[in-house]
Amino acid sequence: MVNSTGELTVTGVNHSYGTGKIKVPVLYDINLHINKGEFVALCGSSGSGKSTLLNLLAGLTKPEEGSVTVSGAQISSYSENELCMFRRKNMGFIFQSYNLLPNLTALENVELPLIFAGESKKKRRAKATEILHRVGLEGRIDHRPNELSGGQQQRVSIARALVNQPGIILADEPTGNLDSKTEQEILLLMREMNKENGTTFIIVTHEQEVAEQSDRVIYLQDGRVVQKRTRPA
Amino acid sequence: MKLRTALTSVGVMIGTAAIVAMMALSLGLKESAVKSLENFGNLTEMDVEPLRWYEEKGEWIDVPEDKVKKLNMQAVQELKKIPGIQAVMPIKELREQAKLKVGRREGYVQLIGVDVNESAAYRKNDIEKGDYLTGSPQEVVVAFDVSRELRDVEKEKREERRRRTGGGQAGQSTMPPDMGGGESIGFNIVDRAATLILSREYRIDDEPKYEKKELRVRVVGQLKKTEERGSSSAVYVPINVVKELNDWVTRGREEENNEGSTRRTREQAKKDTFEFDRITVKVESREKVEGVVAALKEKGFEVWSPARELETINNFFFVIQMVLGGIAAISLLVATIGIVNTMIMSILERTKEIGIMKVIGATVLNIRWLFLMESGFIGLIGGLAGLGMAWGAVELVNYFGASGGLLDSLNMGYGGGNPEGEPSKLAVIPGWLALFAIGFSFVIGVLAGIFPAIRASRLSALQAIRSE
Ligand SMILES: Nc1ncnc2c1ncn2[C@@H]1O[C@H](COP(=O)(O)OP(=O)(O)OP(=O)(O)O)[C@@H](O)[C@H]1O
Ligand SMILES: [Mg+2]
Repeated sequence: MVNSTGELTVTGVNHSYGTGKIKVPVLYDINLHINKGEFVALCGSSGSGKSTLLNLLAGLTKPEEGSVTVSGAQISSYSENELCMFRRKNMGFIFQSYNLLPNLTALENVELPLIFAGESKKKRRAKATEILHRVGLEGRIDHRPNELSGGQQQRVSIARALVNQPGIILADEPTGNLDSKTEQEILLLMREMNKENGTTFIIVTHEQEVAEQSDRVIYLQDGRVVQKRTRPA
Repeated sequence: MKLRTALTSVGVMIGTAAIVAMMALSLGLKESAVKSLENFGNLTEMDVEPLRWYEEKGEWIDVPEDKVKKLNMQAVQELKKIPGIQAVMPIKELREQAKLKVGRREGYVQLIGVDVNESAAYRKNDIEKGDYLTGSPQEVVVAFDVSRELRDVEKEKREERRRRTGGGQAGQSTMPPDMGGGESIGFNIVDRAATLILSREYRIDDEPKYEKKELRVRVVGQLKKTEERGSSSAVYVPINVVKELNDWVTRGREEENNEGSTRRTREQAKKDTFEFDRITVKVESREKVEGVVAALKEKGFEVWSPARELETINNFFFVIQMVLGGIAAISLLVATIGIVNTMIMSILERTKEIGIMKVIGATVLNIRWLFLMESGFIGLIGGLAGLGMAWGAVELVNYFGASGGLLDSLNMGYGGGNPEGEPSKLAVIPGWLALFAIGFSFVIGVLAGIFPAIRASRLSALQAIRSE
């Protein structure tokens, strides 16, 4: 069997919001294939359906039609609990608004996915500390989110996404709240992680810089993929 | 901890404290009621008699004469089969008073025949000095006060004479000092040789005859002092000794009446109809007393023991416990609703957190567990604090209750409080109650958390994460 970790395939996905008569179609006939280790940017104007597509890839939303296969698993047919178990082993998430738990320290936030995965305390500590070092937060391990800058919080959230060593990381406007200098740093960090671990990254973004530094850019317009551009080497 | 959570715990604390305090109070009152009952005698020891009448639908019904139980060997065997009975001790008393002579002292005593094997096991604990009977017919055990009953008759007569003559030769007394004086306290009769003297009187051809019988025995032990039934001049001997002596005493009397019948047939008849005077039953523990009393009644025996009151006490305090506990349980119920409320609030407040946790891999069970433990913790903290509070209240009540003599006035119906020993307590928290309170408050917390936890786990991750 081919190792399909980090691969992602979308076939014939249509999606709409709302029920009954007032249905708002959002995505039309999406077909995508993303390879292991790719660094992909998902671009498009506001309301074009980027977040919706990302949520479908994450299994947070079920497609009305079509299938989504992540790392060889057809998650569009999974139950909610199966999805939870699948996510904690195979996917990491980075949000625009960081979404750290405010009562936990940086270290505890990073440990959280490992707790759900049932890792021992000792292993948890070691893994979380190591990854926090790698994202450059060695001096901020015991700080709470409100004691960290936006960039630092996003670093914690990247560490949290990576700590389980998932095949794929999904990020919805990870630099949307950051100034351009910090944005550059975060982008660099994600690229680094992408290179070092061979983790697939799919990043929703508005920023031209992000798109420029990606392996591939997927453009969405009114719910359709209009352009797939591979970055010139 | 959040103030809201702390306040919810306070609710549980008050509920738990109320329940524990109420239970402690009724348990304490029950305990002291049972204790004052014990002042009437050992509750695990009771005398059994045949049942002669019973009450049915408000009427007293006589047991037909031929159905009345006989206190014979068959009854003893029957009693032994009742579960919870540790020992069955038949007792036969000598009809006549006997004279016990130790050294120069003598006095009248009551001879009581006991089944040595049956009574040895626990009567040994009642021995003040020496040993218990081993079964040899030459051994006797005396009640604590027997030595006081014995008088040095010769010496008293001499002193009487001396007093009358003016007491001029007081200094030349030949009495050994330890045997001297009318004071018999401290006089040791254990491990001394003694003589039991019986007499019978009868007439032959209107001529009064007088016969004496002497038995050489050894005093092997002295029992502890008790306030219980039984005379202070009791001397315990193996039951066969009493049987023989009774025969000897009555034979003289019977001979004066019916000289015709042969001794052999009379003896045979005696053996068949032999009955004990009393049967004392020893119950394994106080808890089993009620059951044994019930079983005895069913078998047609009547019990004369303060233990009969145990049932009444238990029923009474069961009702008290239910009423007090019920009132207190309402406050715990209110506290439980408080927990549910707090948990729902906390879940609303943390909807976004729940969403985040779900997205990063928490399963439905993870989320439920989290909230169940949180509400269980609220209950547990409240329970511990409540137990502490109840303990404090109990200490206070006991302190003021004891010094104010409240207990004695409560005890009047049962004949006064403890004359000696540890002071009775108005309220007690036994270990099981403390453990129960802690466990119960935790369980209540967990139960209160079930509904909120299920609600939390059902939240849609995406919607939850979008909420603010
Ligand atoms: N939960 C929802 N219920 C109904 N309609 C929704 C829901 N979420 C999104 N939509 C609609 O779907 C369309 C696509 O939304 P989506 O959030 O995917 O856009 P986007 O490309 O991420 O935009 P932005 O760049 O502003 O984040 C929008 O028209 C939006 O109104
Ligand atoms: Mg969006």
